[in-house]
Amino acid sequence: MTSFREYREAMANGTAIEAPGPLLPSDAMAFQGERAGFVSRTVAAGIDVALIFLTVLGTVAVFWMISFIIDPMTPGTPLTTSNDRVPGVGIMIVYGYFLNWAYWTVCWATTGRTIGNLVMGLRVINYKGERVRWVGAAVRAAFCTTFPFGLLWVIVSGANRSVQDVVMRTSVIYDWAVTIPGFGGLKLANPDGTRPKE
Amino acid sequence: MTTDDGILREVVLITRPAPAGPPNPLDALRDVFSSSVGMATYTASTFASLIEQTVSYAVSTSVNAALDRLVPVIADAIIERIDLTDLVIEQVDLNRIVNSALDSLDLTQLVIDRVDINAIVAEADIEAVIDRVPIIPLANYVIDEIDLPQIIRDSTSGIAGDAVSTVRKQGVGADQLVARLADRVTFRRRQRKLEAPGEPESLIDRFAADASTTHDPLGDGEKPGDGETIGNEGTST
Repeated sequence: MTSFREYREAMANGTAIEAPGPLLPSDAMAFQGERAGFVSRTVAAGIDVALIFLTVLGTVAVFWMISFIIDPMTPGTPLTTSNDRVPGVGIMIVYGYFLNWAYWTVCWATTGRTIGNLVMGLRVINYKGERVRWVGAAVRAAFCTTFPFGLLWVIVSGANRSVQDVVMRTSVIYDWAVTIPGFGGLKLANPDGTRPKE
Repeated sequence: MTTDDGILREVVLITRPAPAGPPNPLDALRDVFSSSVGMATYTASTFASLIEQTVSYAVSTSVNAALDRLVPVIADAIIERIDLTDLVIEQVDLNRIVNSALDSLDLTQLVIDRVDINAIVAEADIEAVIDRVPIIPLANYVIDEIDLPQIIRDSTSGIAGDAVSTVRKQGVGADQLVARLADRVTFRRRQRKLEAPGEPESLIDRFAADASTTHDPLGDGEKPGDGETIGNEGTST
C-alpha cells in the first residue's frame, strides 16, 4: 500500500500512480489473454455467420425489389420455383462465402475482432501476440470459411487451437477491453490501435 | 603422654600457695605514688573536659547567635552586588546539565503520565490544522487506494453491459467445461497451455490509462500525461 507521503512525492515527480484500471469487471481479469475455448469461439463464429446470412437474405430482398423497378410488367412467380427476379442459389452461396471471407479478413486485420468476437470478448492475434497482417488475415479467413470444422480441433487441442490456428500460428484470446459501442459506455479501439479519446 | 618407645605415661600437676615473704617497703611506696598520680591525672582531665564543654557551649551559642544575625545580612549584600543569572550563564555548562537531565528522563512517558493530552487537543485549533491539510490530494489518494473507479464500474456498468458480461462469462464457463470433458475423455492429465503471446488490450488499457488519465491528483491544475494516448498494441500493416 502506498503511503500518502509516497503518493504525494510520486505525484510531485510526475510519476504515474495506480491506474484507474482496465474497463473490466474484477472477476474477468484472471483469464484475460488466455486462449479461448470452443464454445465462445463457436458462438462468436455463429453470430458472424448469422449476420452474413442475414446480409445475403437482405441482398436477395434488394435484388427482388430492384427487379420490379427494372421490369415491373412481368408477372411475378414464387421464388421457390423461379429465379427470374433473384440471383440463383449457387450465386448467393458463393456471394455469402465471399462476403464472409471479406468480412473476417477486414475485421481480423484491422481490429482483430469481428462482431461475434466483440460480443464474446475475443480477439485474433498472430504468433507475436500482435494483430494479424492483411495477408495472414485473408488466408485465415479463407481457411475458416472453406473448412469451418477446423474449429472442432479446439476441443481436443492441448492449447485451445483450431486447425487454422495451428497452420497459421494464430491464437484467439479472451480480451474484454472493448465491447459493443454504446453498451456500458465503452468504446472500440481506434483502427490504429490507439486508445479512443474519452 | 606417649614416649618414644610407645609407653603411655600420666603427668599430674599439683599447685600449692607460695610461702608469704616479708613486705617490701619500696613496693608499697611505689604503689602509693602511682595511685596518687593516677588519681591526679584523672581529676585533671575530668576538670579540663568540663571546662572545655562549658566554654564551647558558651562560645557556640554566642557565635551562632551572631552568625544568625550576620549571615543573612552579608548574603543579601553579596546577592545585591552580584548578578546570579549572568554568573550561572557564564560559569555553568547549562547544555551539559540539560542533556544530562534529558538523558535520565523518559520524556515521552513523562508527557503521557503528566500531561492531559485530551485537554490540549480540546484547546487546539483543529480548523487551522485542517486548513493546512491538502484535502484534494488526500481525497484523490483515498480514491486511488480503494480503486473507486473499479468499484463504480462494477456496480454501475448498466444492464446492457451486465448482459454482455454475463454472456461472456457463461461462454468462458462453457469453454472450461467442454475442455474438462474433452481432457477426461482423452485421458489428458496435463493442463492446457492457454498462455498466448503478447498482452491483451484489456490489460494494456491499464497502462494506456496511466498516460491518458484526465483527473488531477494534486489538485493544482496540472494533469500528468494529459492528452497522451498509448497504442494498445503494435500496429498492423
